[in-house]
Amino acid sequence: MTEQSRSSRRRFLQAAAALAAAPAVSHATHGASPEKAGQDTPPALARLLRKADLPEPKGPRVVIVGGGWSGLSMAKYLRLRNPGFDVVLIDRQPAFLSFPLSNAWLADQVNMEFLSHSFFEAANRHDYRFVQATVLGLDRTSRKVYTDAGTIAYDYLVLAPGIEYDYPQIGIEDPVVQEQLYHHFPGGFYSSSELLTIKRKIQAFRRGTFLLTVPSGDYRCSAAPYERACVMAALFRRRGIRGKILLLDMNNDITIMKDAFARAFNDLYGDIIDYQPSSLLAGMDLEKRIIETEFDEFPFDDAIIYPPIRASRLLEEAGIADPHSTQKTARTDPFRYHLVDDERVYVTGDSRSQPFSKGGHTANSEAQYVAEVIAGHALGREVEWRSPQTMCFSTVAIDPLRAMSHITYYRYDEASKDFAFDRIHSVEKWDVTGGQASIAWAEGMFRDMFYE
Amino acid sequence: MTIVLHFTPDPENGRQVYDICARCHLPEAWGTEDGTYPQLAGQHRSVLLKQLLDIREGRRRSPLMRPFVQPRIVGGYQNLVDVVTYIAALPMNPAHGKGPWPEATPEYAQGKQVYQTNCAACHGQQGEGDDARRIPRLQGQHYAYMRRQAIDAKRGLREVDPGMSSVIIKLSDEQIALALNYVSRVEVPKQDLAPSPGWRNPDFSEVEK
Ligand SMILES: Cc1cc2nc3c(=O)[nH]c(=O)nc-3n(C[C@H](O)[C@H](O)[C@H](O)COP(=O)(O)OP(=O)(O)OC[C@H]3O[C@@H](n4cnc5c(N)ncnc54)[C@H](O)[C@@H]3O)c2cc1C
Ligand code: HEC
Ligand code: HEC
Repeated sequence: MTEQSRSSRRRFLQAAAALAAAPAVSHATHGASPEKAGQDTPPALARLLRKADLPEPKGPRVVIVGGGWSGLSMAKYLRLRNPGFDVVLIDRQPAFLSFPLSNAWLADQVNMEFLSHSFFEAANRHDYRFVQATVLGLDRTSRKVYTDAGTIAYDYLVLAPGIEYDYPQIGIEDPVVQEQLYHHFPGGFYSSSELLTIKRKIQAFRRGTFLLTVPSGDYRCSAAPYERACVMAALFRRRGIRGKILLLDMNNDITIMKDAFARAFNDLYGDIIDYQPSSLLAGMDLEKRIIETEFDEFPFDDAIIYPPIRASRLLEEAGIADPHSTQKTARTDPFRYHLVDDERVYVTGDSRSQPFSKGGHTANSEAQYVAEVIAGHALGREVEWRSPQTMCFSTVAIDPLRAMSHITYYRYDEASKDFAFDRIHSVEKWDVTGGQASIAWAEGMFRDMFYE
Repeated sequence: MTIVLHFTPDPENGRQVYDICARCHLPEAWGTEDGTYPQLAGQHRSVLLKQLLDIREGRRRSPLMRPFVQPRIVGGYQNLVDVVTYIAALPMNPAHGKGPWPEATPEYAQGKQVYQTNCAACHGQQGEGDDARRIPRLQGQHYAYMRRQAIDAKRGLREVDPGMSSVIIKLSDEQIALALNYVSRVEVPKQDLAPSPGWRNPDFSEVEK
């Protein structure tokens, strides 16, 4: 996360790459026999250079990095579209936790069992392999990935490592400050510990101002920060807390379902939510708990700070990030998702380069198509482009759960040579049907990725 | 499907029930040219109902839609009958996705032949399907959707009528594509179509951008 650990990790990666490039690498045919490492390889590093414990592949091996919404959907549909593929899914986490519906969980409308699922079950059900490991880098020449469980060779590689926070974009360069912010005022859009911290914070909150921020740029899940403000306001009301929610939006206006959220902020939670658009952050005093925007200064008692985001650093570490892109994404073919110079390496999910809204639904519908593209590549078949869709539910009220929904389709615009929104259907009334639909939607997604 | 006979359909209630479906299928139920979503408008009621029940029971794999057709969300048979009645009566997309080969091409002619020999006995000369036999109307359906469904059926990824599987397993993917190209180019009777591709379902007044 921090500058320090990043640069030391990069140094470490260089070391690993140099060792791998050493001559006379032995190609053992099975199991964990170590490749020959350089003279002064510390034993701890030698472990990284041997092959990971995996049986020999039974067909072309597709390695997927990241078991989020994208990677899990990719793994399933790759097996379905080409049963000859030997699919390996790698994630550094021991279990899956859903961010979608986590705002409903903050208000106890669904429980932890609903949100968390086992990678083992997904892999067993869909007949692929799950490896819990952290991917450190890749070598595209010899087609292998380096992980802390050893190296894994691939025929096709799918990178779906998601996003990271980009604190420097709001002027926070100091790694120590970044870490303080991340640990003390987490945004709740990146790791599961953030969610647990946020729930405890809300439960512990008694009075005063609770600060929430909405980042600028193509951030993960447009509706979720507004949804969270609504859910928190509803919780304050449920528990009779005299508190305010200060919602500082770095954008000039609500970015999605504008009228509806404005209605919710005014009509439903007018006494609780103070919405401030165009709030570019100018400074922050974490000790005194004061946040400065360009024109104003606001004291706060607790905060959830969602900074702008960027693609996972893994893309950079793998040497495939385009330094000119705002979110440090890779240069990929916009229709076929592979690197422009490598048809064996694909980038999907929230770390993709296309401007689709970052959502679990986008990742899932996209994966159904990309799996066909990769299967098609292996079998010499052409596959026509299909649009992903982004469906997103927003809880506005609780007891009982009431939600709005929004679905977006995309099309390719020949004139601007870029993707554009096609049809959008927003149901901008929050009702119980919407609330039930949001749960049915998540259940359907979990069934798809894990159980059916 | 005999169940239909025991219920008097109520299209007004069907419209209410369709509210939740429209969140994915959109108010017009026209599907997408790229084949991600099927056109539901104008499909036979018995076909729609069979698909809903198949998906509900898991006989047809659609994990995403499956929770939505459970009784706790969509309600009982009456609601199902009502919603399919509503959908079947919606005007169809006047600009559905067609296959790549226009009428004057040899591929079109080849496809016509493959279709008439292998498919027309069930799906009808004009791809009109048959409500009584629960055979889908193909006329007006998006080509890309039909091709994906037919090829999935051939590979055993979608279970269909055994009569149909025995036919399609003998055909190559190309022959299937040709037959579907042909049927995708059959004209839909004008009275079944919406006046223009820009038509929007007036039953849905939510904000649309
Ligand atoms: C509060 C909230 C509400 C949301 N609501 C919705 C909603 O209603 N609808 C919707 O569609 N979307 C919603 N989203 C967005 C959705 O969660 C994301 O778009 C989705 O998770 C993206 O999937 P992904 O697979 O690209 O990334 P992720 O799900 O983040 O998965 C990336 C995975 O890669 C792993 N990984 C990363 N680097 C490495 C490495 N080096 N080695 C090994 N593993 C690695 C990570 O551990 C992680 O599991 C919401 C998000 C939030 C935070
Ligand atoms: C979460 C999104 C979603 C919702 C909500 C949804 N569907 Fe679907 N539906 C789909 C998708 C995706 C398909 C295509 C499945 C496939 O490709 O096999 C589909 C397919 C169908 C089919 C099969 C059509 C055919 O000819 O093959 C019918 C019928 C249908 N839906 C009706 C409904 C009805 C009625 C409702 C509401 C009760 C509903 N759907 C709700 C996503 C949804
Ligand atoms: C024996 C009768 C029969 C024959 C022959 C037949 N079909 Fe079908 N077809 C069906 C039935 C019945 C279904 C509905 C399956 C179900 O209930 O899910 C179907 C479904 C389909 C579908 C999916 C439609 C949808 O809306 O989901 C397509 C596409 C299709 N058939 C194409 C063809 C083609 C192309 C041929 C010829 C090569 C063909 N069929 C031959 C009976 C037949």
